[in-house]
Amino acid sequence: MLRTFLAAFGAILAIPHSASAQTAFTLPAPPFDVPMLPSPSGNWTVMVGIGGEYTPDFVGSKNGKFLPIPIFTIRRAGSVDQFRGPRDSASIALFDVGYFRAGPAFKYVASRKSDKYSELTGLGDVKAAYELGGFVEYFPVDWLRLRSELRQGMGGHTGTVADVSADVIVPLIQRLTISAGPRFTWKSTKATAPYFSVDAAQSLASGLPMYDAKGGAHSVGFGSQISYRINPQWEVHAYVEYEKLLGNAADSPLVKLRGSSNQTTVGLGASYSFDFRIR
Amino acid sequence: MRRRVILCVVCAIACVVLGAAAAFETRTTRLQAIKTVGIVSAIGEEMSLTQAGLVVLGNAGQSVSISAWGLDELIVQQATKLLGGRFRVQAVSYRRAAFAAIRDSAVAPVNLLRSDPFKELVRSDVTPQGLDAYIVITRARSKLGNGRIVEGVGLAQYRTLLADYGLIHALYEIRVIEGKSFDVIEKRAAAPLDNTGTMRLAGPSGPVDATIDGPASS
Repeated sequence: MLRTFLAAFGAILAIPHSASAQTAFTLPAPPFDVPMLPSPSGNWTVMVGIGGEYTPDFVGSKNGKFLPIPIFTIRRAGSVDQFRGPRDSASIALFDVGYFRAGPAFKYVASRKSDKYSELTGLGDVKAAYELGGFVEYFPVDWLRLRSELRQGMGGHTGTVADVSADVIVPLIQRLTISAGPRFTWKSTKATAPYFSVDAAQSLASGLPMYDAKGGAHSVGFGSQISYRINPQWEVHAYVEYEKLLGNAADSPLVKLRGSSNQTTVGLGASYSFDFRIR
Repeated sequence: MRRRVILCVVCAIACVVLGAAAAFETRTTRLQAIKTVGIVSAIGEEMSLTQAGLVVLGNAGQSVSISAWGLDELIVQQATKLLGGRFRVQAVSYRRAAFAAIRDSAVAPVNLLRSDPFKELVRSDVTPQGLDAYIVITRARSKLGNGRIVEGVGLAQYRTLLADYGLIHALYEIRVIEGKSFDVIEKRAAAPLDNTGTMRLAGPSGPVDATIDGPASS
Protein backbone atom coordinates (compact mmCIF):
# COMPACT_ATOMS: atom_id res chain seq x y z
CA MET A 1 0.00 0.00 0.00
CA LEU A 2 2.76 2.41 1.06
CA ARG A 3 4.80 1.72 -2.04
CA THR A 4 1.79 2.20 -4.34
CA PHE A 5 0.78 5.37 -2.56
CA LEU A 6 4.28 6.88 -2.62
CA ALA A 7 4.63 6.04 -6.32
CA ALA A 8 1.34 7.79 -7.13
CA PHE A 9 2.09 10.67 -4.78
CA GLY A 10 5.55 11.06 -6.30
CA ALA A 11 4.00 11.11 -9.76
CA ILE A 12 1.75 13.98 -8.70
CA LEU A 13 4.62 16.00 -7.26
CA ALA A 14 7.09 15.15 -10.00
CA ILE A 15 5.04 16.58 -12.86
CA PRO A 16 6.90 19.72 -13.89
CA HIS A 17 5.22 23.07 -13.48
CA SER A 18 4.97 23.58 -17.23
CA ALA A 19 2.60 20.65 -17.41
CA SER A 20 0.16 22.37 -15.10
CA ALA A 21 -3.37 23.02 -16.27
CA GLN A 22 -3.51 24.38 -19.81
CA THR A 23 -4.88 27.90 -19.78
CA ALA A 24 -6.42 29.89 -22.62
CA PHE A 25 -4.43 33.00 -21.73
CA THR A 26 -2.40 34.54 -18.94
CA LEU A 27 -3.02 37.93 -17.40
CA PRO A 28 -0.29 39.88 -15.63
CA ALA A 29 -0.27 40.00 -11.84
CA PRO A 30 -2.32 42.84 -10.39
CA PRO A 31 -0.09 45.81 -9.57
CA PHE A 32 -1.26 45.81 -5.96
CA ASP A 33 -3.05 43.67 -3.40
CA VAL A 34 -6.34 44.74 -1.95
CA PRO A 35 -6.05 44.50 1.85
CA MET A 36 -8.11 41.68 3.44
CA LEU A 37 -8.98 40.12 0.08
CA PRO A 38 -7.20 36.97 -1.11
CA SER A 39 -4.80 37.43 -4.01
CA PRO A 40 -6.43 36.74 -7.41
CA SER A 41 -3.19 35.11 -8.62
CA GLY A 42 -3.61 31.58 -9.88
CA ASN A 43 -5.82 29.69 -12.32
CA TRP A 44 -9.48 30.55 -12.84
CA THR A 45 -12.28 28.82 -14.73
CA VAL A 46 -14.78 30.86 -16.70
CA MET A 47 -18.02 29.31 -17.91
CA VAL A 48 -19.99 31.08 -20.64
CA GLY A 49 -23.06 29.85 -22.39
CA ILE A 50 -26.56 30.44 -23.54
CA GLY A 51 -29.82 28.90 -22.49
CA GLY A 52 -33.47 29.29 -23.19
CA GLU A 53 -36.52 28.96 -21.01
CA TYR A 54 -40.18 28.51 -21.87
CA THR A 55 -42.05 29.96 -18.92
CA PRO A 56 -45.55 31.35 -18.16
CA ASP A 57 -46.12 34.96 -19.33
CA PHE A 58 -46.71 35.91 -15.69
CA VAL A 59 -47.44 33.95 -12.51
CA GLY A 60 -50.90 32.49 -13.02
CA SER A 61 -50.91 32.77 -16.81
CA LYS A 62 -52.01 29.89 -19.03
CA ASN A 63 -49.82 31.10 -21.90
CA GLY A 64 -46.05 30.98 -22.11
CA LYS A 65 -43.13 32.82 -23.63
CA PHE A 66 -39.57 31.93 -24.57
CA LEU A 67 -36.75 33.78 -22.80
CA PRO A 68 -33.04 33.60 -23.68
CA ILE A 69 -30.84 33.20 -20.59
CA PRO A 70 -27.12 34.05 -20.60
CA ILE A 71 -24.83 31.77 -18.56
CA PHE A 72 -21.72 33.16 -16.91
CA THR A 73 -19.78 31.95 -13.89
CA ILE A 74 -16.21 32.42 -12.71
CA ARG A 75 -14.51 30.33 -10.04
CA ARG A 76 -11.09 29.11 -8.93
CA ALA A 77 -9.82 26.41 -11.31
CA GLY A 78 -10.54 22.94 -10.04
CA SER A 79 -13.17 24.04 -7.57
CA VAL A 80 -16.33 22.05 -7.95
CA ASP A 81 -19.25 23.55 -9.80
CA GLN A 82 -21.69 23.11 -6.92
CA PHE A 83 -25.14 21.67 -7.63
CA ARG A 84 -27.69 24.41 -8.40
CA GLY A 85 -31.41 24.17 -8.97
CA PRO A 86 -33.08 26.31 -11.65
CA ARG A 87 -35.28 27.97 -9.00
CA ASP A 88 -32.38 28.88 -6.69
CA SER A 89 -31.83 32.57 -6.07
CA ALA A 90 -28.42 34.11 -6.63
CA SER A 91 -26.53 33.37 -3.42
CA ILE A 92 -23.13 33.40 -1.77
CA ALA A 93 -22.14 30.78 0.81
CA LEU A 94 -20.42 32.79 3.54
CA PHE A 95 -20.63 29.81 5.88
CA ASP A 96 -19.48 26.55 4.34
CA VAL A 97 -18.54 23.34 6.10
CA GLY A 98 -19.10 21.14 3.08
CA TYR A 99 -22.39 19.48 3.97
CA PHE A 100 -23.91 22.70 5.36
CA ARG A 101 -23.86 26.08 3.65
CA ALA A 102 -25.54 29.37 4.41
CA GLY A 103 -25.37 32.95 3.25
CA PRO A 104 -27.23 35.85 1.66
CA ALA A 105 -29.60 35.31 -1.28
CA PHE A 106 -31.08 37.69 -3.85
CA LYS A 107 -33.85 37.32 -6.41
CA TYR A 108 -35.08 39.72 -9.06
CA VAL A 109 -38.78 39.53 -9.91
CA ALA A 110 -39.55 41.21 -13.22
CA SER A 111 -42.23 43.87 -13.45
CA ARG A 112 -45.72 42.93 -14.69
CA LYS A 113 -47.04 45.38 -17.30
CA SER A 114 -50.79 45.26 -17.82
CA ASP A 115 -50.58 46.46 -21.42
CA LYS A 116 -48.34 43.54 -22.39
CA TYR A 117 -50.92 40.78 -22.02
CA SER A 118 -54.66 40.98 -22.73
CA GLU A 119 -55.53 39.00 -19.55
CA LEU A 120 -54.07 41.82 -17.45
CA THR A 121 -55.99 44.66 -19.08
CA GLY A 122 -57.31 46.99 -16.39
CA LEU A 123 -55.30 45.43 -13.55
CA GLY A 124 -52.53 48.03 -13.43
CA ASP A 125 -48.77 47.53 -13.45
CA VAL A 126 -46.70 45.87 -10.74
CA LYS A 127 -43.17 47.26 -10.53
CA ALA A 128 -40.08 45.03 -10.49
CA ALA A 129 -39.37 43.56 -7.05
CA TYR A 130 -36.01 42.94 -5.41
CA GLU A 131 -36.04 40.15 -2.85
CA LEU A 132 -33.16 40.08 -0.36
CA GLY A 133 -32.65 37.44 2.28
CA GLY A 134 -30.70 34.34 3.10
CA PHE A 135 -30.44 30.65 2.33
CA VAL A 136 -29.45 27.47 4.13
CA GLU A 137 -28.49 24.29 2.35
CA TYR A 138 -27.89 20.90 3.93
CA PHE A 139 -26.55 17.72 2.38
CA PRO A 140 -27.28 14.81 4.78
CA VAL A 141 -25.58 12.71 2.09
CA ASP A 142 -23.79 13.76 -1.07
CA TRP A 143 -26.81 12.88 -3.23
CA LEU A 144 -29.53 14.71 -1.29
CA ARG A 145 -29.84 18.48 -1.01
CA LEU A 146 -32.32 20.24 1.27
CA ARG A 147 -32.51 23.97 0.67
CA SER A 148 -34.52 26.78 2.16
CA GLU A 149 -34.62 30.48 1.35
CA LEU A 150 -36.27 33.35 3.20
CA ARG A 151 -36.44 36.70 1.37
CA GLN A 152 -37.97 40.10 1.98
CA GLY A 153 -39.29 41.99 -1.03
CA MET A 154 -38.70 45.62 -1.97
CA GLY A 155 -40.24 47.56 -4.83
CA GLY A 156 -43.06 45.72 -6.61
CA HIS A 157 -43.99 43.87 -3.42
CA THR A 158 -42.93 44.35 0.18
CA GLY A 159 -43.82 40.93 1.54
CA THR A 160 -41.92 37.87 2.73
CA VAL A 161 -41.25 34.80 0.60
CA ALA A 162 -40.06 31.38 1.81
CA ASP A 163 -38.94 28.62 -0.53
CA VAL A 164 -38.26 25.03 0.53
CA SER A 165 -36.94 22.37 -1.81
CA ALA A 166 -35.34 18.95 -1.82
CA ASP A 167 -33.29 17.43 -4.64
CA VAL A 168 -32.10 13.88 -5.05
CA ILE A 169 -28.93 14.13 -7.15
CA VAL A 170 -27.99 10.91 -8.92
CA PRO A 171 -24.75 10.72 -10.90
CA LEU A 172 -25.40 7.94 -13.43
CA ILE A 173 -21.82 8.11 -14.59
CA GLN A 174 -19.19 10.75 -13.93
CA ARG A 175 -20.44 12.95 -16.77
CA LEU A 176 -24.19 12.45 -16.52
CA THR A 177 -26.22 13.62 -13.54
CA ILE A 178 -29.96 13.68 -13.04
CA SER A 179 -31.75 15.31 -10.14
CA ALA A 180 -35.35 15.72 -9.06
CA GLY A 181 -37.37 16.73 -6.06
CA PRO A 182 -40.35 18.53 -4.54
CA ARG A 183 -40.74 22.31 -4.01
CA PHE A 184 -42.93 24.43 -1.75
CA THR A 185 -43.38 28.20 -1.56
CA TRP A 186 -45.03 30.31 1.13
CA LYS A 187 -45.76 34.01 0.61
CA SER A 188 -47.07 36.67 2.97
CA THR A 189 -50.11 38.80 2.13
CA LYS A 190 -47.90 41.72 1.04
CA ALA A 191 -46.08 39.41 -1.38
CA THR A 192 -49.31 37.92 -2.76
CA ALA A 193 -51.75 40.84 -2.97
CA PRO A 194 -50.02 42.98 -5.66
CA TYR A 195 -50.19 40.08 -8.14
CA PHE A 196 -53.52 38.42 -7.27
CA SER A 197 -55.83 41.00 -5.63
CA VAL A 198 -58.44 42.86 -7.69
CA ASP A 199 -59.60 46.17 -6.16
CA ALA A 200 -62.77 48.08 -7.04
CA ALA A 201 -61.18 50.23 -9.75
CA GLN A 202 -59.40 47.23 -11.29
CA SER A 203 -62.62 45.25 -11.14
CA LEU A 204 -64.43 47.93 -13.13
CA ALA A 205 -61.61 48.24 -15.66
CA SER A 206 -60.96 44.54 -16.13
CA GLY A 207 -64.36 42.97 -15.71
CA LEU A 208 -63.01 40.60 -13.04
CA PRO A 209 -64.78 40.33 -9.67
CA MET A 210 -63.18 42.09 -6.70
CA TYR A 211 -60.80 39.89 -4.75
CA ASP A 212 -58.64 40.38 -1.66
CA ALA A 213 -55.75 37.91 -1.86
CA LYS A 214 -54.19 36.88 1.45
CA GLY A 215 -50.86 35.20 2.13
CA GLY A 216 -50.17 31.57 2.95
CA ALA A 217 -49.15 28.46 1.06
CA HIS A 218 -48.46 29.79 -2.44
CA SER A 219 -47.43 26.78 -4.48
CA VAL A 220 -46.27 23.21 -4.40
CA GLY A 221 -44.39 21.58 -7.20
CA PHE A 222 -41.79 19.26 -8.58
CA GLY A 223 -38.62 19.87 -10.55
CA SER A 224 -36.16 17.75 -12.45
CA GLN A 225 -32.86 18.47 -14.12
CA ILE A 226 -30.36 16.58 -16.28
CA SER A 227 -26.84 17.66 -17.11
CA TYR A 228 -24.26 16.02 -19.36
CA ARG A 229 -20.63 17.01 -19.55
CA ILE A 230 -19.58 16.20 -23.12
CA ASN A 231 -15.94 16.92 -22.30
CA PRO A 232 -14.16 19.10 -19.72
CA GLN A 233 -15.12 22.18 -21.75
CA TRP A 234 -18.67 21.58 -22.98
CA GLU A 235 -21.72 20.87 -20.90
CA VAL A 236 -25.41 20.70 -21.81
CA HIS A 237 -28.35 20.71 -19.44
CA ALA A 238 -32.13 20.68 -19.45
CA TYR A 239 -34.75 21.07 -16.75
CA VAL A 240 -38.47 21.12 -16.10
CA GLU A 241 -40.19 22.77 -13.14
CA TYR A 242 -43.89 22.26 -12.44
CA GLU A 243 -45.76 24.40 -9.92
CA LYS A 244 -49.37 24.12 -8.73
CA LEU A 245 -50.63 27.41 -7.32
CA LEU A 246 -52.39 27.04 -3.97
CA GLY A 247 -54.57 29.05 -1.62
CA ASN A 248 -55.53 32.62 -2.45
CA ALA A 249 -53.20 32.74 -5.46
CA ALA A 250 -55.03 29.78 -7.08
CA ASP A 251 -58.44 31.19 -6.11
CA SER A 252 -57.76 34.64 -7.59
CA PRO A 253 -60.17 35.47 -10.47
CA LEU A 254 -57.14 36.33 -12.58
CA VAL A 255 -56.03 32.69 -12.31
CA LYS A 256 -59.46 31.04 -12.17
CA LEU A 257 -61.11 32.96 -15.02
CA ARG A 258 -58.23 33.96 -17.27
CA GLY A 259 -55.25 31.83 -16.33
CA SER A 260 -54.25 28.52 -14.87
CA SER A 261 -52.97 27.27 -11.53
CA ASN A 262 -50.68 24.83 -13.37
CA GLN A 263 -47.38 26.53 -14.09
CA THR A 264 -44.68 24.75 -16.05
CA THR A 265 -41.23 25.99 -16.97
CA VAL A 266 -38.95 24.12 -19.36
CA GLY A 267 -35.37 25.15 -20.00
CA LEU A 268 -32.20 24.00 -21.71
CA GLY A 269 -28.75 25.39 -22.22
CA ALA A 270 -25.17 24.76 -23.27
CA SER A 271 -22.01 26.16 -21.75
CA TYR A 272 -18.31 26.26 -22.54
CA SER A 273 -15.62 26.43 -19.85
CA PHE A 274 -12.05 27.61 -20.20
CA ASP A 275 -9.22 28.39 -17.82
CA PHE A 276 -7.11 31.50 -17.64
CA ARG A 277 -4.27 32.38 -15.34
CA ILE A 278 -3.39 35.45 -13.36
CA ARG A 279 0.35 35.60 -12.64
CA MET B 1 -16.80 74.48 -6.62
CA ARG B 2 -16.72 72.12 -9.58
CA ARG B 3 -12.97 72.68 -9.99
CA ARG B 4 -12.44 71.82 -6.32
CA VAL B 5 -14.39 68.55 -6.68
CA ILE B 6 -12.34 67.58 -9.75
CA LEU B 7 -9.12 68.41 -7.86
CA CYS B 8 -10.21 66.24 -4.93
CA VAL B 9 -11.05 63.33 -7.26
CA VAL B 10 -7.67 63.65 -9.03
CA CYS B 11 -5.86 63.73 -5.66
CA ALA B 12 -7.77 60.66 -4.46
CA ILE B 13 -6.89 58.74 -7.67
CA ALA B 14 -3.24 59.79 -7.36
CA CYS B 15 -3.15 58.59 -3.74
CA VAL B 16 -4.61 55.20 -4.70
CA VAL B 17 -2.20 54.78 -7.63
CA LEU B 18 0.84 55.80 -5.57
CA GLY B 19 -0.25 53.56 -2.70
CA ALA B 20 -0.70 50.67 -5.07
CA ALA B 21 2.67 51.27 -6.68
CA ALA B 22 4.28 51.39 -3.24
CA ALA B 23 2.62 48.13 -2.22
CA PHE B 24 3.76 46.43 -5.44
CA GLU B 25 7.28 47.70 -4.95
CA THR B 26 7.35 46.50 -1.36
CA ARG B 27 6.19 42.97 -2.22
CA THR B 28 8.62 42.55 -5.12
CA THR B 29 11.59 43.99 -3.28
CA ARG B 30 10.79 41.90 -0.23
CA LEU B 31 10.90 38.72 -2.30
CA GLN B 32 14.11 39.81 -4.03
CA ALA B 33 15.80 40.58 -0.73
CA ILE B 34 15.42 37.03 0.60
CA LYS B 35 18.70 35.13 0.89
CA THR B 36 18.30 32.64 3.74
CA VAL B 37 15.18 30.51 4.07
CA GLY B 38 13.84 27.79 6.34
CA ILE B 39 11.29 25.25 5.13
CA VAL B 40 8.36 24.04 7.20
CA SER B 41 6.23 21.18 5.86
CA ALA B 42 3.12 19.88 7.59
CA ILE B 43 0.98 18.02 5.08
CA GLY B 44 2.09 14.43 5.64
CA GLU B 45 0.79 13.70 9.14
CA GLU B 46 -2.40 12.01 8.01
CA MET B 47 -4.10 10.70 4.91
CA SER B 48 -7.81 11.11 4.29
CA LEU B 49 -10.03 8.47 2.72
CA THR B 50 -13.15 10.11 1.32
CA GLN B 51 -16.16 8.82 -0.53
CA ALA B 52 -18.55 11.09 -2.40
CA GLY B 53 -21.42 10.71 -4.83
CA LEU B 54 -23.79 7.81 -4.17
CA VAL B 55 -22.72 6.91 -0.64
CA VAL B 56 -24.76 5.73 2.33
CA LEU B 57 -25.93 7.97 5.16
CA GLY B 58 -23.32 8.44 7.89
CA ASN B 59 -20.34 7.76 5.65
CA ALA B 60 -18.29 10.76 6.73
CA GLY B 61 -14.93 9.56 5.52
CA GLN B 62 -11.94 8.75 7.68
CA SER B 63 -8.31 9.57 8.11
CA VAL B 64 -5.29 7.52 9.10
CA SER B 65 -1.94 8.56 10.50
CA ILE B 66 0.90 8.33 8.01
CA SER B 67 3.51 10.29 9.92
CA ALA B 68 5.75 7.20 9.86
CA TRP B 69 5.95 7.46 6.07
CA GLY B 70 8.12 10.55 6.34
CA LEU B 71 6.36 12.51 3.58
CA ASP B 72 7.19 15.86 5.15
CA GLU B 73 10.89 15.00 5.35
CA LEU B 74 10.72 14.04 1.67
CA ILE B 75 9.01 17.33 0.78
CA VAL B 76 11.56 19.41 2.74
CA GLN B 77 14.36 17.46 1.04
CA GLN B 78 12.91 18.06 -2.45
CA ALA B 79 12.17 21.73 -1.76
CA THR B 80 15.68 22.25 -0.40
CA LYS B 81 17.11 20.74 -3.59
CA LEU B 82 14.91 23.00 -5.76
CA LEU B 83 15.62 26.19 -3.81
CA GLY B 84 19.29 25.49 -3.12
CA GLY B 85 20.50 27.17 -6.31
CA ARG B 86 18.89 30.50 -5.47
CA PHE B 87 18.74 30.60 -1.65
CA ARG B 88 20.73 29.40 1.33
CA VAL B 89 18.35 26.87 2.84
CA GLN B 90 18.80 26.31 6.55
CA ALA B 91 17.27 23.40 8.48
CA VAL B 92 14.64 24.48 10.99
CA SER B 93 12.85 22.69 13.80
CA TYR B 94 9.17 23.10 14.60
CA ARG B 95 6.19 21.25 16.06
CA ARG B 96 4.69 19.72 12.95
CA ALA B 97 1.43 18.81 14.68
CA ALA B 98 0.85 22.45 15.62
CA PHE B 99 1.12 23.52 11.97
CA ALA B 100 -1.06 20.62 10.81
CA ALA B 101 -3.75 21.46 13.36
CA ILE B 102 -4.55 24.91 11.95
CA ARG B 103 -7.76 25.01 9.94
CA ASP B 104 -9.56 27.75 8.02
CA SER B 105 -12.73 29.06 9.62
CA ALA B 106 -16.00 27.83 8.07
CA VAL B 107 -17.16 31.45 8.03
CA ALA B 108 -15.44 32.91 4.97
CA PRO B 109 -15.23 36.57 6.15
CA VAL B 110 -13.42 35.47 9.34
CA ASN B 111 -10.51 34.21 7.22
CA LEU B 112 -10.30 37.57 5.50
CA LEU B 113 -10.47 39.62 8.69
CA ARG B 114 -8.27 37.63 11.05
CA SER B 115 -4.50 37.66 10.98
CA ASP B 116 -2.90 34.65 9.24
CA PRO B 117 -2.52 32.05 12.04
CA PHE B 118 0.71 30.68 10.54
CA LYS B 119 2.46 34.02 11.15
CA GLU B 120 2.21 33.63 14.90
CA LEU B 121 3.20 29.98 14.78
CA VAL B 122 6.36 30.75 12.79
CA ARG B 123 7.21 33.51 15.27
CA SER B 124 6.68 31.33 18.35
CA ASP B 125 7.45 27.81 17.18
CA VAL B 126 10.19 27.76 14.58
CA THR B 127 13.88 27.76 15.49
CA PRO B 128 16.22 29.27 14.59
CA GLN B 129 14.64 32.70 14.25
CA GLY B 130 16.17 35.50 12.23
CA LEU B 131 16.22 33.94 8.74
CA ASP B 132 15.12 36.21 5.87
CA ALA B 133 12.02 34.11 5.22
CA TYR B 134 10.24 30.91 6.12
CA ILE B 135 8.50 28.80 3.50
CA VAL B 136 5.51 27.07 5.05
CA ILE B 137 3.88 24.18 3.17
CA THR B 138 0.52 23.14 4.61
CA ARG B 139 -2.66 21.35 3.61
CA ALA B 140 -5.13 22.98 1.23
CA ARG B 141 -8.75 21.92 0.84
CA SER B 142 -11.19 21.35 -1.98
CA LYS B 143 -14.79 20.33 -2.51
CA LEU B 144 -15.49 16.86 -3.87
CA GLY B 145 -19.00 16.17 -5.08
CA ASN B 146 -21.61 18.30 -3.34
CA GLY B 147 -21.12 17.96 0.38
CA ARG B 148 -17.62 16.59 0.90
CA ILE B 149 -14.43 18.50 1.62
CA VAL B 150 -11.09 16.81 1.05
CA GLU B 151 -7.77 18.21 2.19
CA GLY B 152 -4.09 17.44 2.09
CA VAL B 153 -2.93 14.00 1.08
CA GLY B 154 -5.43 11.27 0.47
CA LEU B 155 -7.48 8.96 -1.63
CA ALA B 156 -10.98 9.81 -2.76
CA GLN B 157 -13.64 7.79 -4.45
CA TYR B 158 -16.59 9.17 -6.38
CA ARG B 159 -19.42 6.67 -6.66
CA THR B 160 -22.00 6.85 -9.40
CA LEU B 161 -24.82 4.48 -10.27
CA LEU B 162 -22.87 2.72 -12.99
CA ALA B 163 -19.20 3.19 -12.09
CA ASP B 164 -16.77 4.25 -9.36
CA TYR B 165 -13.86 6.63 -9.89
CA GLY B 166 -10.73 6.84 -7.74
CA LEU B 167 -8.47 9.83 -7.16
CA ILE B 168 -5.24 10.40 -5.33
CA HIS B 169 -4.65 13.96 -4.20
CA ALA B 170 -1.98 16.13 -2.64
CA LEU B 171 -3.63 19.48 -1.96
CA TYR B 172 -1.21 21.98 -0.50
CA GLU B 173 -0.57 25.68 -0.17
CA ILE B 174 2.66 27.55 0.26
CA ARG B 175 3.26 30.71 2.26
CA VAL B 176 6.39 32.82 2.19
CA ILE B 177 6.60 34.47 5.60
CA GLU B 178 9.04 37.30 6.16
CA GLY B 179 11.53 36.43 8.87
CA LYS B 180 11.63 39.77 10.69
CA SER B 181 8.11 41.17 10.53
CA PHE B 182 6.44 37.76 9.98
CA ASP B 183 4.24 39.26 7.29
CA VAL B 184 2.90 36.81 4.69
CA ILE B 185 4.64 38.04 1.53
CA GLU B 186 3.11 35.42 -0.75
CA LYS B 187 0.46 32.73 -0.39
CA ARG B 188 -0.48 30.35 -3.21
CA ALA B 189 -2.38 27.10 -3.39
CA ALA B 190 -1.05 24.47 -5.80
CA ALA B 191 -3.10 24.44 -9.01
CA PRO B 192 -4.65 21.31 -10.61
CA LEU B 193 -2.18 19.42 -12.79
CA ASP B 194 -4.41 19.44 -15.84
CA ASN B 195 -7.93 20.25 -16.88
CA THR B 196 -8.69 17.09 -18.77
CA GLY B 197 -10.60 15.23 -16.08
CA THR B 198 -14.30 15.67 -15.49
CA MET B 199 -13.93 15.04 -11.75
CA ARG B 200 -11.78 17.90 -10.60
CA LEU B 201 -10.24 19.05 -7.37
CA ALA B 202 -8.79 22.47 -6.65
CA GLY B 203 -5.25 21.10 -6.49
CA PRO B 204 -2.89 18.38 -7.73
CA SER B 205 -4.63 15.04 -8.19
CA GLY B 206 -4.61 12.06 -10.48
CA PRO B 207 -6.82 9.06 -11.24
CA VAL B 208 -6.18 5.71 -9.54
CA ASP B 209 -7.78 2.31 -9.99
CA ALA B 210 -7.88 1.49 -6.27
CA THR B 211 -11.18 1.64 -4.39
CA ILE B 212 -11.72 2.51 -0.75
CA ASP B 213 -13.46 -0.41 0.89
CA GLY B 214 -13.11 -1.87 4.33
CA PRO B 215 -11.58 -0.34 7.46
CA ALA B 216 -8.99 2.42 7.21
CA SER B 217 -6.37 0.31 8.95
CA SER B 218 -6.22 -2.05 5.99
